Amino acid sequence: MTVGKFVVGVVGMSALLWGGPLAASAHEMTERYIPVGQSPGLSGKYTVIGKIQTTNARDQTVAIVGTTRSWSAKVTEKTKIWLDRSKLRLTNLKGTFSDLRPGATVEVKPEGHLRGVFSGPAEWIKVQISASP
Amino acid sequence: MRSGELLSSAIRYATVMCVPSVFLAVVGLSACKTTPPAADRQGQLIAKGRDLFFNETFAGNGRTCGTCHPAENNFTIDPAFIATLPKDNPLFVAEFNPDLKENFENPALMREFGLILENLDGFDDLKNQFVMRGVPHTLGLRTSVNSPGGPRTGWSGDGAPGDGSLRSFAVGAVIQHFTKTLNRVPDVDFRLPTGEELDALEAIQLSLGRQQDLALPLRLRGTVPKRGQEIFLDNTLGKCNRCHVNAGATANFGGGSLGNANFNTGVEDLPDQPARLTGKVVPRDDGFRTPGDGTFNVPPLVEAADTGPFFHNNAIETIEGAVAFYDGEAFNKSPAGRALAAADPRGVGIELDGTQIVAVAAFLRVINVLENIRQSIMLLEASLAASSSEEKRRLLQAARRETEDSTRVLEGGGLHPDAVAHLQEARRLAEKAVRRVFFSRKHTEEAIREQKKARALLVE
Ligand code: HEC
Ligand code: HEC
Repeated sequence: MTVGKFVVGVVGMSALLWGGPLAASAHEMTERYIPVGQSPGLSGKYTVIGKIQTTNARDQTVAIVGTTRSWSAKVTEKTKIWLDRSKLRLTNLKGTFSDLRPGATVEVKPEGHLRGVFSGPAEWIKVQISASP
Repeated sequence: MRSGELLSSAIRYATVMCVPSVFLAVVGLSACKTTPPAADRQGQLIAKGRDLFFNETFAGNGRTCGTCHPAENNFTIDPAFIATLPKDNPLFVAEFNPDLKENFENPALMREFGLILENLDGFDDLKNQFVMRGVPHTLGLRTSVNSPGGPRTGWSGDGAPGDGSLRSFAVGAVIQHFTKTLNRVPDVDFRLPTGEELDALEAIQLSLGRQQDLALPLRLRGTVPKRGQEIFLDNTLGKCNRCHVNAGATANFGGGSLGNANFNTGVEDLPDQPARLTGKVVPRDDGFRTPGDGTFNVPPLVEAADTGPFFHNNAIETIEGAVAFYDGEAFNKSPAGRALAAADPRGVGIELDGTQIVAVAAFLRVINVLENIRQSIMLLEASLAASSSEEKRRLLQAARRETEDSTRVLEGGGLHPDAVAHLQEARRLAEKAVRRVFFSRKHTEEAIREQKKARALLVE
């Protein structure tokens, strides 16, 4: 095998088959049932927990004021919104943008890394529901 | 391969540990006299993790991690093992707990093929959206999780919530498998593990089985296994070592290690998959992420021969069949098969004939037995140092089971009858050591010698 062919093979291979070096590997599906602030290895470190200050339905953005920092989250087609009803001892539900209301306590997991960035698309948003809606 | 048992015994003798790694401590057991605090803490953490792994139900439906990852069956379950369990074993909750009757497990597929239901693509449509997967063993995890793209756990590499790490895996397992009802409400249907419990569970899991990869080639003695190793390592023939470097779980295509990578090898495209032959609904498993990209995570192969059935869907029962998969259409038409073909001067992916398939399988059998012998010797040695008779008994029985695996794996491939004879003798001696109060030490020492004789027949 020539070096050239080999490299093509390898590159083809990694592009085609490899998850990609920056792809998150977390299983988002059981994440849904983990209450705000309790996501292992993420909460407080790679997520923003705070209150929604404002929302903008046209831009699909949410401004969150956290205890340590603020974040402007963009809700994309891929963003998962979950209603965390664990405080009510009820099952967690799937939510929509309209569930993001000013004053609500939320946890946001940004896509990629938080470091040094103050806005961007959200991978998931958990909304804490503490009284019957 | 039940070093968990071995380690927990080592922990009870933590006073004799003298190296930071508990694993090494077992080896150095008799030589060391002092107890540095770090090793002691690690030992205690592993002991706590062991207790959690096998006994903690997290206030759920009665299952523990050990329900599906039992030490007495190489930390996995298969139809033969499942058939030995009583009807009220919590593995079968879906059969007797009305709240879990629908959409939690598929009891028929569990009993016939050892398959477990998982909602990897979400919990919104429980009736139609699920995958059926085999239970992987949890051995050698220290060598088979890390990749440059982050930790890879489970068959598709995305098994853990949170940061996706092995430590976080337990949280997802509790939510998926331990719940009392399908509402899955924390502190109602189960409780989530605490941070300390996650640390302990991670510690026990990392301590199980191999702590490092082999360095191939080994100087094998058997004619056929030796040829099998050559084919395995030949990047123009077997090509196995591309993705399973040193028969482990990391890939390397010449540009450095890709770690525990993911590939689409076409297992989902196999015709006549046993679970689907039943006519039961088995949705296509799309692998990594949601929607999936069709890739699955490379498993280590040293532990394979005694932990079938094989692949994420338990599609193939025998190790020979698993090797033969790579010669078939499903693999060679898959993205991985086509990429290998594109990089091949003759344009072939993987093409092996009957003799070659059996040779590679013979090699996989032999390296599995070498690992079992290593474990057996460690267990036997640890039993000599055991303080309580209960502990000693447990270790000897673990060594006995390990030895039975070795015999079965060699016999299944018609390999090394001379070594099998020594292993049978080693098994008999271990059994004797369990039953006898007097001469127990003598029998154990003889069993160790028999293990070493068997090993010397497999490898120089
Ligand atoms: C009902 C059976 C069941 C129970 C109970 C269970 N598991 Fe598993 N385990 C599985 C299955 C099935 C998989 C494959 C998951 C996947 O592909 O994502 C798995 C995979 C794993 C893996 C990934 C191994 C690898 O090679 O990447 C780890 C680690 C693990 N389990 C640990 C645990 C722990 C810790 C617990 C207890 C908290 C647990 N399991 C309880 C069935 C079970
Ligand atoms: C392109 C990468 C790649 C190559 C080349 C490759 N494998 Fe694999 N192997 C994998 C992946 C990925 C899996 C898991 C697939 C799944 O379960 O869907 C796997 C699974 C296996 C299993 C099942 C292990 C278990 O515990 O269930 C065996 C056995 C195996 N491979 C043997 C081989 C042999 C022998 C060769 C060479 C003939 C080989 N592999 C070549 C990537 C590869």
